Amino acid sequence: MTEPILEARGLTKFFPTKRGTVRAVDDIGFRMSPGDTLGLVGESGSGKTTTAQCVVGIYAPTTGDILFHGRSIGATAAKRSKELKREIRIVFQDPGSSLNPKRTIKQILATPLAVHHLASGREQLARISALLERVELPPAEYLYKHPQSIGGGEKQMVAIARALATDPSFVVLDEPTSALDVSVQAKIINLLLGLQKEMGLTYLFITHDMSLMRNVASRVAIMYLGKLSEIADTAEFFQRPLHPYTKMLLSSIPVVSDEEESLKPAKGISRGEIPSPVNIPPGCSFHSRCPSRLDVCDKIDPATVEVAPGHVVRCHLYPGPQEGSS
Amino acid sequence: MPNSSLLLEIRNLHVGFRIFEGHLRVLAGVALVVNEGERVGLVGETGCGKTTTVKSVLRVLPIPPARVAGGEILYRGRDVLRMHRHALHVLRRQELTAIFQDPLQSLNPVFTVGSQLRDIVRDSMRTPEGRALSRREIEARCIQALEETGMPDPDRIMSNYPIQLSGGMRQRVCIAEALSTTARLLLADEPTTNLDVTIQDQILRKLDRLVDQKGSSVLMITHSMGVVRDLTQRIYIMYAGSIVETGPTRQLLASPKHPYTQGLMASVPRLTGRGVSEGIPGRIPNYLEPPPGCRFHPRCPHRMPECSVEAPPMFDVGADQRAACYLYRRSSS
Amino acid sequence: MQDTTKANLLAAWRQRKRNLAHGWYKFSRNPLSVIGLAVLVLIVLVAIFAPYIAPYPGHAKAYTNFREASQAPSAKHFFGTDRIGRDIFSRILFGYRFSLLIGVVVLSLGVAPGVVLGLIAGYRRGTWVEVVIMRVTDVFLAVPSLVLALAITAMLTPNLINQMMAIALVWWPWYSRLVFSLASSLRNEYFVKEAELTGASQRHILFREILPNCFAPIMTKMTLDMGLVILVESTLSFVGLGVQPPKPALGTMVAEGAKRLPAEWWSTIFPALAIVIVILAFNLIGDGLRDVFAVEDV
Repeated sequence: MTEPILEARGLTKFFPTKRGTVRAVDDIGFRMSPGDTLGLVGESGSGKTTTAQCVVGIYAPTTGDILFHGRSIGATAAKRSKELKREIRIVFQDPGSSLNPKRTIKQILATPLAVHHLASGREQLARISALLERVELPPAEYLYKHPQSIGGGEKQMVAIARALATDPSFVVLDEPTSALDVSVQAKIINLLLGLQKEMGLTYLFITHDMSLMRNVASRVAIMYLGKLSEIADTAEFFQRPLHPYTKMLLSSIPVVSDEEESLKPAKGISRGEIPSPVNIPPGCSFHSRCPSRLDVCDKIDPATVEVAPGHVVRCHLYPGPQEGSS
Repeated sequence: MPNSSLLLEIRNLHVGFRIFEGHLRVLAGVALVVNEGERVGLVGETGCGKTTTVKSVLRVLPIPPARVAGGEILYRGRDVLRMHRHALHVLRRQELTAIFQDPLQSLNPVFTVGSQLRDIVRDSMRTPEGRALSRREIEARCIQALEETGMPDPDRIMSNYPIQLSGGMRQRVCIAEALSTTARLLLADEPTTNLDVTIQDQILRKLDRLVDQKGSSVLMITHSMGVVRDLTQRIYIMYAGSIVETGPTRQLLASPKHPYTQGLMASVPRLTGRGVSEGIPGRIPNYLEPPPGCRFHPRCPHRMPECSVEAPPMFDVGADQRAACYLYRRSSS
Repeated sequence: MQDTTKANLLAAWRQRKRNLAHGWYKFSRNPLSVIGLAVLVLIVLVAIFAPYIAPYPGHAKAYTNFREASQAPSAKHFFGTDRIGRDIFSRILFGYRFSLLIGVVVLSLGVAPGVVLGLIAGYRRGTWVEVVIMRVTDVFLAVPSLVLALAITAMLTPNLINQMMAIALVWWPWYSRLVFSLASSLRNEYFVKEAELTGASQRHILFREILPNCFAPIMTKMTLDMGLVILVESTLSFVGLGVQPPKPALGTMVAEGAKRLPAEWWSTIFPALAIVIVILAFNLIGDGLRDVFAVEDV
């Protein structure tokens, strides 16, 4: 395996609240190689966004660490070096909120260039125009517009251009297309994939959309209530989903063709509510909704087991080496 | 004499909005039909006029700025747009019911779930003899309605306030409210868009069963092709204020004919994982100056000279499937 | 390159013009606001050109003419004369000069520090910085502003400058309160998070990212406050703690006339009406501005 560009080790983030501790992210670990796209999939309250925010430095981890090129970066952005801020960038979900409505697109794109002293004056304008061209927006038309006068997809392209302004190597995409229509989403996804190839980017792609991940990610990880339930290479993941929660998610996806219907696992009819992250069930947190629950499930939290090369599951159904595969 | 199985028919509906910049011509001749006991989907992307259509049916569009420039909305042969206030009130109370995207907007935050549900049942239900329901009957009906949506512990939920429930639970309450009555037509405007996929799946299955039991008709408005495929028999595809294609749901999704529908279907990411298409070039037109003729022609890969002259009528493109596109002119008699 | 830059600037300028036109359209949909604006424009013009418009400009200063004292309104003196024979109409026109001057000066003195403090406190919410700023603000807000202004002016010599300082001193906390609440919600917006992650300086975040988003409510509040400041000024003058006679402040005039009610009603009623009208005008405009800045969802 190549040297990982980013690695999370025992990453944990708790938020103390009046009603108890929210265990937003609870001891997760993953590695990403350069050029990877890791799809981090989960429903609301799964901790996928908190994970992303720890990576970019909105939060510092409670325990555990994040390594970037082998160096620890487990701190908030305020404590990170400028160099690091240039390397790791983020695109937020809602471009309506991530672009300041009172600033023109030129001003928005100028900020990262100015902060990192990358360009100024006439050179800055040229860089901004080049960035806009890179995301397929004609500069003459867009430079002096305000975000509210352009469409949602175009806003998100501006947000992508802003993320790329510092020439990063790692971009966190926090549900970049979930607020957009599918025809616009398709455009943005193609753009992102093109840019990845062109600039050698590594993506941490946060989403709730499994169908999208099938087409975008090189690896997929599933989170449920702050823990990773399953992680595998994309092809393997969709051919051989193992965790009952993964099966439930897959069988819940509304699909548009019979061919896709046949790919959904038969067993795994969705049931139950997602528990509150303040009150996580004991043992395996999924046991309250699990269709294949065992006796141990509400008592002991299952261990993480690598059932096949690169395919990791956290479930008592796959108890690991003593009975098993290797 | 209208066809007896016809429940809702929208004919050539034109709705506009007057704003500072001018006149937004949003709906340009929407035509659709919902038959008794049928489930119909109305699918389109943001800004295509789906919600304006539903609001027109419920007559809740703010007028002004909105203006109905023409057309009819016939509910069992009677024009909703020209109904008197009292008749409209009776219609809304006893015949139509709606579920919206955001349950927090349709539930009143200062009353308990129970008191809201009781009001609805009291106002809209009568015994077979036409008598108002007794207090006990109302209570029983409410509990039953909540139970039917798969709500655990309905007694407790009745005394809860909406904010004490999760998003999925709230939407179940809305469904219970909508289906607690004897209404014949359910208008569902993106009812599961804000929900997690596993919860959406549960709610849709529940809705499916309940509607089956009651034999209600459904007009489901959504942007999700997957959701309509599971829940409806027939769909209308809407683009920029008009219906561009209609047909039996599965057949249409399997072989879309209109270039817009084709582009849309190609954009949907599939579980089969064959990559994502380029999307549809361009963007939805400005309603101030919509393109003449077919409103899709500036984005259309098969554009012909006549497309920018006159809007195409519907042509037959398959069994019960019709598309508003000149590509299919010859196949129609 | 040069050409496109020029074209761009032109496009930007056109966009700005469109926005202004749109704003005016929304404002003009409220006819009362348009009336308020018209009245205010009239008042401002009248105040500026008072020496040329007023029938008796000399009456604005120390002047006595007992032969024409205490006359009821007539064609010669529209609003009558006061007890020493000065034309009330002329004095009102000059009185507006003080009112508007005080309104503008007080707000420009009070708003800037209030806004800056509010920005800092809102952005640093939850730290000691916020605690210090906002508790000081609370102390000022806890004392009724009129009482505080009265106390401060009473300690100093009553004159125009001191009066303005006193009112400005009680006015800034309202702005720090307003901007505090705006800034503390704006700092959770993703564009602020993004600027932080990019490494932008605090000054950039406060003044380039957050402040522009506060302009609309600040402007609205300032317009509404102009009326209030004029009212407070009039009150202070009424109790003798403001502009000193013979200078024609509206509040002073009301106070002088009040002694001779009800017989010489005109010497109180007309200055009082003048105060009411200018306050009303500002309030109507404020309402219109609120409509202009309101987020519309179509």
